[in-house]
Amino acid sequence: MAFTPLEEGFEFVPIKTESDIVRSRKVIRTLASKMGFRLTDVTRIVTAASELARNIYKYADQGQMCYRELQINGKLWLELVFEDQGPGIEDVEMAMGEGYSSSGSLGLGLPGTKRLVDEMEIESEAGVGTRITLRKKV
Amino acid sequence: MYEGSISVIKIRNVLLVTVPPDPDDELINQLQERVLQILDQSKAKGVIMDISTVDILDSFFAHTLVETAKMIALMGGRTIISGMNPSVAVTATQLGLTFGDIDTELDVDSALDRMEASED
Repeated sequence: MAFTPLEEGFEFVPIKTESDIVRSRKVIRTLASKMGFRLTDVTRIVTAASELARNIYKYADQGQMCYRELQINGKLWLELVFEDQGPGIEDVEMAMGEGYSSSGSLGLGLPGTKRLVDEMEIESEAGVGTRITLRKKV
Repeated sequence: MYEGSISVIKIRNVLLVTVPPDPDDELINQLQERVLQILDQSKAKGVIMDISTVDILDSFFAHTLVETAKMIALMGGRTIISGMNPSVAVTATQLGLTFGDIDTELDVDSALDRMEASED
């Protein structure tokens, strides 16, 4: 069992070390600014990317951030996919509940990240890993 | 100050800490250690963390700031965070970051005034 392969057009940043978290932020900041997001939206997207890249580093050891620009009904979107082959999220519904944090750090994570973007989807399975997709419209 | 460094300077009785725009985790951890160490050596009364240059504040950074402020309080000092930019404030609020009871000010100037006022 594995996730369905990603569609065409993605570029990716591997996430293996702590410095890859900064690297993913830089890549997304450059791309989002170039795409024409206003400053507050750039900050939202970069922060969301930072949270999910750190989750991969912290819980799955390694994975990757994939990103692409999308045209949907004449609108430009940024799509980010965070993938890992880590332990998976046991209960996605619970992890999306307010105040949940499996590391006990700040009691947040996924619900907060979701508020920073327009769309967020989570696929997770024990033994397969986790894939989180974020989308934001310019 | 080269790109990517933390600066800690003493102004009157206060330590002024500035951080680079996009600090990595290691630098954020260093910040905590350095601030506590310099606070101890300098016998300053408090710490102003100026984050006006910071354009990304994620949960890890926020968590470390709150933790550092608690440690400073244990040592007998007070902490003021100054200069959070509007985009960072919007994002931090929507992400759900909490800053405990750390005092905040618009800029370093008002933070210094507040520190001074609290000494009287």
